[in-house]
Formats: sequence, C-alpha cells, structure tokens
Amino acid sequence: MFESGLNGQITLTLDIAEREVLGQLFDQVEQLLEELTSQDTSDPLELMLGMNGSTQISNDPALARLFPDGYSEDEHASADFRRFTEQDLRQQKIAALNDVRKGIQATANPAVVSAPEAQSWLKALNDLRLVLGTRLEISDDDDFDFDGDEPGMHLYNYLTYLQGTLIDALN
Amino acid sequence: MSALPIEDIQVNVLTDVPWITLVWNDPINLMTYVTYVFQTYFGYDKPKAEKLMLDVHEKGRAVVSTGSREEMERDVAAMHSYGLWATLQKDL
Repeated sequence: MFESGLNGQITLTLDIAEREVLGQLFDQVEQLLEELTSQDTSDPLELMLGMNGSTQISNDPALARLFPDGYSEDEHASADFRRFTEQDLRQQKIAALNDVRKGIQATANPAVVSAPEAQSWLKALNDLRLVLGTRLEISDDDDFDFDGDEPGMHLYNYLTYLQGTLIDALN
Repeated sequence: MSALPIEDIQVNVLTDVPWITLVWNDPINLMTYVTYVFQTYFGYDKPKAEKLMLDVHEKGRAVVSTGSREEMERDVAAMHSYGLWATLQKDL
C-alpha cells in the first residue's frame, strides 16, 4: 500500500505476493499495448513525429477503452486525431509501465516513491484497472462486489484498494 | 485606425465558436481519481473538481474545459493519458 509521511513523502510497501502478481499483470498490459496496430508508413518524418497511429478504434474492448475516439460524432476528425496522437499515448503508457516495474523491483520495503514515480503508478494502475475491469465486463457503478468469487474480481478489488491508497497519499 | 465593418465582426464571432471537452461517465474510474485528475491537470480547486466529477457521474457527462479546437485536442489527449473517457466537439 501507499502511504504519505509527515513530510509529504510517499512510500510503497509491497509483500512478495503483491510484487509477483503486479509484475505479471503489468506484463500483460504491455503485451496488450504491443498489439495496438499502427499505420504502415515509410515516411521517416511521419514515423519521427509519431503520426503513424491507426485510424480506427480497436476491436479489442480493452484497447478501445485505453485508446478511445477523440470525437464522438465526427468519424473523420476522430481518425485524424487517432493517427496523430495514438502512438504518443502508447509511448506514454509504456513509459509509465516501465517506471512502475522498476518500483516493483525496489529492494527497499517500504520504498520511497518520487513525485514523478507516483504519477506513473497512478496512470499505470488505472490502465490496469481499465483493462481488467473491461475484461470482467464491469458495466455500472453498482457492480462493486467485494465478496465476488471470480478470481479476477479479487484482483480488481485489490487494485482498486491499492489505487485508493495512492490517491489518499497524493491528497 | 478604422473600425471593422460589421460583417467582418460577425464572421469573426462565427469562426470563434468555442470547442468543448466532454468527460463521459464510466463504471471503472474511481470518483476520487477523477476528482484528482481534474484538480491536477486543469488546476481546478477541490469543490469545482468534485462538482464536475459528480456531474459526470450523475448526468453521464460534463463539460470540463472550453477553448480553441487545438486546446481541446490537447485536453482530450491528456484525459486519455489518465484513462478518462473524453471527447471534444464544437459548443453548439
């Protein structure tokens, strides 16, 4: 769990089982991010500027949730927006994942979490909850079930708890 | 210095129609998280951020920022980086 000390410093305490399960889950998110398709382009400028995002929302509901349309009623504008922003967004998500995986491997326990690392944790944990929640087909606000028998539900509730401690620590 | 003819002013008003960033309700993002994002990214104070979060939660969506199309595309991209479901459109 995340905690905030008197000096505002955030620390993270994880036991071995938590490190293991978080490591596996973040690996799965990374694999999912690798499945995101990009446009074939040989234009080096387009590649350099990351303008090779796809133009259509993913058929995979979890990827569609992580990379939603930018315009709700304008397909053409949405396609352009995606082409120009999707690869950058993907890079940001991978960077946050890499940050938190370093944190998971920290030998100190509790480990000090810097302000930028806390932001990476916040985003990566949220992405993970979005992916898992989409897979579990969590569909409305009444679906919170802390006694759910579904193993995925236990993980989801644990991630919700962990993210909650981080938001408390940041506030 | 001469005053602009009235027609030009009207044209300017039309092309300056502001764009809006909408955040949509979803069943996964925590209410405390959404409030935190509104405070952190937009710099809104806690009461305003909470009001917007509750609007999203109860009304299904809320306008979280207004401005030029380019500014709104930046805001929507930022919301997506936080995992919030956001879109932009012209404010009609």
